[in-house]
Order: sequence, then structure tokens, then C-alpha cells
Amino acid sequence: MIQPTFPALLHTPLGLAADATPDKPAFRFDGASLTYSELADTSSRMARTLVEAGVRRGDRVALFLDRSFQATIALFGILRAGAAYVPIDPGASQQRVREILDLSGARCLVTTEAKRAALPGGFPASMSAVIGLSKPLEAEVDVISWEEALSSPDLGARAQVLSETDLAYIMFTSGSTGTPKGIMHTHASGMSYACMAANLYGLRADDRFSNACGLHFDMSTLDYFCSTLVGASTTIIPDPWLKLPASLAELIEAERLTVWYSVPLALLQLVEFGDLGSRDLSALRIVLYGGEVFVPKHLETLRRLLPDALIGNVYGPAETNQCTWFNVPEGWNADRGPVPIGAACPNADLLVIGEDDADVAPGETGELAVRAPTMMQGYWRQPELNRTAFLERAGAGGETQRYYRTGDIVIERPDGNLDFLGRRDRMVKSRGFRVELDEVERAIAGLPMVSEAAAFTVALREGVTVIRGAAILNPDETIGARDLAAAVARLLPHFARPDRIELLPEFPRTGSGKIDRRALAEQLSGEAQVSGVVGNA
Amino acid sequence: MHETIREFIEADLVLEREITADEPLLLSGMIDSLGVMRIVAFLEASFGIKIPASDLKISNFGTLNAIAAYVAKRTAA
Repeated sequence: MIQPTFPALLHTPLGLAADATPDKPAFRFDGASLTYSELADTSSRMARTLVEAGVRRGDRVALFLDRSFQATIALFGILRAGAAYVPIDPGASQQRVREILDLSGARCLVTTEAKRAALPGGFPASMSAVIGLSKPLEAEVDVISWEEALSSPDLGARAQVLSETDLAYIMFTSGSTGTPKGIMHTHASGMSYACMAANLYGLRADDRFSNACGLHFDMSTLDYFCSTLVGASTTIIPDPWLKLPASLAELIEAERLTVWYSVPLALLQLVEFGDLGSRDLSALRIVLYGGEVFVPKHLETLRRLLPDALIGNVYGPAETNQCTWFNVPEGWNADRGPVPIGAACPNADLLVIGEDDADVAPGETGELAVRAPTMMQGYWRQPELNRTAFLERAGAGGETQRYYRTGDIVIERPDGNLDFLGRRDRMVKSRGFRVELDEVERAIAGLPMVSEAAAFTVALREGVTVIRGAAILNPDETIGARDLAAAVARLLPHFARPDRIELLPEFPRTGSGKIDRRALAEQLSGEAQVSGVVGNA
Repeated sequence: MHETIREFIEADLVLEREITADEPLLLSGMIDSLGVMRIVAFLEASFGIKIPASDLKISNFGTLNAIAAYVAKRTAA
């Protein structure tokens, strides 16, 4: 572990590691290495370029790049320039890119020629330069190439004075309903998470981290800030590898990765199609997943395939970083039901509250609220939302204790672990009964022939909403939709039964790999409206 | 065969955009996991081949050229 420094900014460890282990790979990509000294040097030049382009402490700089060394250099360069980075999904449309630039009021955008077609035709007035293009843009904005940016002098005396309380990054939600919400994290909240994770999992300088998700996804902060904090190496896994499990397994083996952190999807595909039996994954000592429920039977397989690894179910909305975790014990099997989200991480104070905002009695269901130094400052330029997102309580001295309302419904087990029951907004009323859609989903996914399942509501016509399921069957499974619905019906009370279950080869996913239930519902509700038929469940 | 595969990908997976033979198909915003499974199903149905999980690799599915070469190899086998 790096010695405590003051102030501890998210990019501070990079400088320390560059002094201590200059030739060690900080990041690896496609077989090549970017050493700590190379990253320190290039990010310093990038920072200087940004400062010369007008970036000042507290500004925002958007980052629109596929994960790569360039993206890594940009990320650290933006922080060193004193700005907050605003990562944009590299698969985003022109419209979305423009929206994020507008909302964040970005001073600069760092990108690359490969993204030219996805750049908007015009830019907000806040923008002073686009960095990373070799040819000019039609829009009235300065363009600086990667070559120019990295041949600039280093930051030197232009280094900004910064505090841990300065913003470090803003991650925008997908905004499938309404305006995207910008989750604001400071150097302090980001570093608090990196330190907590390093201590909790015992992460070390000889670890080799994976980076399996985009920079616009909060899980990536472990791969970039916790790894540099402990002076380890991170292998950036390009998107194509995440979609082709046999290649992914090969890469994990070849890079001898020791730490993995992703949504369940990549792990699930590895278990199903990665041919793991023929791979030596013995170096993999820590496997963390979060963001979604891991189908218990696939988790059982993973637990069996990696008997010596620590497997952790990690929970925490991006607003809080991580706040609970559950260490999946050896020999864990699917008969034990859903995996708990576990107990509070060090430094997190949890409440389970009822509709009246008071603590529920032990063992009763309620919404989880969290107070921790890893928590966001709030939503970017959303005063209204920030009034309702937090619960404030007075401490013993009258000080304000601020809890983030997660919107997640949990229940505490007698052993102190929390079970995740579903989203507050996934509670639906069906024929007058309260139904938890996640419970319906678990019932379908729990059947032996099912690989993955989703449950959602669709509007058959004005005012008539029904619960519907969708399932991906296991390979070579032939059960029909009607028989599957009948099997599910035996597991659920009548009011919670899906009216029918669609069998699909795959589900639409969000950028982060989570099942996109909204898209699924839209895809299938069109059909429902046409046929208007209610199947027999 | 090349054209059959190209037509399927362009019409069904990348929304009528033209793709080049050696363009990476699986970057963010292009074909997703769902799309990969659809390509596999399409190839199995159209060319009467069975694609084992161990073949789900970049070298076989990364580009249009890679897919065509892979299918040619499988159909010859």
C-alpha cells in the first residue's frame, strides 16, 4: 500500500508509483504495456494541453473514447488539469454526445478520429477545444491532435492547486426516462472507495486487475484508481472480447489476471460458453460482481470452477460506490436461494426505513439508505432531485447526517446479512395485490431449463397492465413457452403469475450489460397490442 | 456466402449501415451479445453447420472476413 499522502487526490498514487516502479506496466491493452512512468509523463502532457486550452480547476472535460491507452491517458490528464472527467458511452449517438456536453457544460472534449462520425455537428458555447482529431471540424471549435497534445511540455508549474473536495468525475445515467442524472463524485469520495476496496479485499501491488466495463460505468473506478493506489497493473479488456467468451477465457489465462470485477453477464457467458474446464484460471484470486442478481445456478457453477477464489457479491448504486458485500462461501449451491447483498462495508452506515422514513423493526422489509464517505455529492445541477434523494437526520450534536435513499427494498436476515428484494419502483399492483417483479423473475430463472429471465409489465391497452416474463433457455433445451408458463405458475400466487412467457435467444442489454427490461417490454408490448391475446398461465 | 452474411448483418444488426469486410464489428455501439447469438443462429441455420462454444472467438467473429473464413472452414469440414 502506498504511504498516506496529503492531499490524497485520485491521481496522486500515479505519481508515487511512477517514482517507485517506473517500468512496471500500469495498464495493458491488446498485448502491449503502458508503464507507470509513461502514463505519468503522457498524462502530464495531456494535462498541460488542457490547461493551455483554457481548462481550469472545477471545469468539466468530456471523454468520448473506446477503452484504450488513449482513454487512460485522457482520464488521468483531465484529473491532473484540475477538471472533472465526464465519461460518455463510446457507443453513444451524436444526439447523446451533444446532450452530455450541454448538460455538463464541458470546457473540452477528448476523443479520436474513429469517433468523428458520432460527433455532433455543433458544440455548446462552453467548449474551447476538441482534443484528439487530426483534421479540423466544420463546427467553430479549435481542434488539437493527439500528436500535438502529447508533444506539449509537461504540466510543470502549471499544476493546479486542488483539494480532495473538488469534483473528480460526473457519471451520467442512461436517462431512459427524462433528463440524464449526473452523479457527482469528488476526489475524496472516489479515493475513499479505492482505499476501502483495497483494504477490504486485500488488494496488492502484485495483482493484475481486469477492466471489463466502460469508463462511464462506476465499476471502472476500481480498475483505474484502486489498482494505481496499490501500484498494481490493469488489463483493459476491449469490448469484442467481452462478447466472445472463448476469447475472453483465453485472455484471462494469458494475462494471468488475479482480480475480476464486472456485471454478472460476462461471468455468466464465461461459465456457459467459455470452455473453462480447459483453462488454467488458478491465478484468479478475487472475483467480484455487482449491478445485477447473478442467477444462482450459474453462480454455483462459477463457485465450483474457482474453488480457491474469493467470490464477492458487491452492492451499491453508483451514487454510493460500494456499500455492502457478501462473501460467497465455498461449496455454495443454488438450493440456498438468492445470494444476499451482505453486510455493510467498512465506513458505511446503513438504515432500513419504512414509508414514514423511520427505521423498520428488525427483520422487516424497507428501503435501504446509506451514509458513507464514498457517497456522491449529489446530482449535477439538479437541486430539486437533491432535495428528495437524501434523507437527513440530526446527529447527537445537531449535525446533519445525510443518507442516500437507494430506492432498493431489502430485508435483514437473522445473521445480519441483507437480502435484496427489488427496486421500490419495481413493485407493481396486479389485481389489487402488491407484486414484486423481481420475485417473479427469480421464480422463472430458478427453473432448471432456464438460463436467464426477466419480468416486467406491459400495457395491453389503456389501463390494462399485465405481468409478462421472458426467458433464455439453456442450450439444447426444448421446452415450449406454454409449458414453461405452467411450471412458473406452480411457483407463484395467482396474482403474480406472468400472463405469458416469451422465449428469446438473448435479451436487449444496457451499455453496462444489464438486462434492459424497458426495451424488452417495448419490444414485446408491440406484439401484445397487435394480438391482444392473453395466454393461459 | 460473404454477401449473404453481410446482408444479414447490415439489415438485422447494424440498422442498414454499410459495413466493410475488415471493420471490427463488436465495438461498443455495434453488435452486442444478443447480436452475436443471432449471428451464430443465422449461420447455423443458413449453412447447416454447428458452432461449438469453444469457437466463439475474435479470430472467428471479429470481422465480416473472419466470419466468412470461419464458415468456409466449417462447411468444408
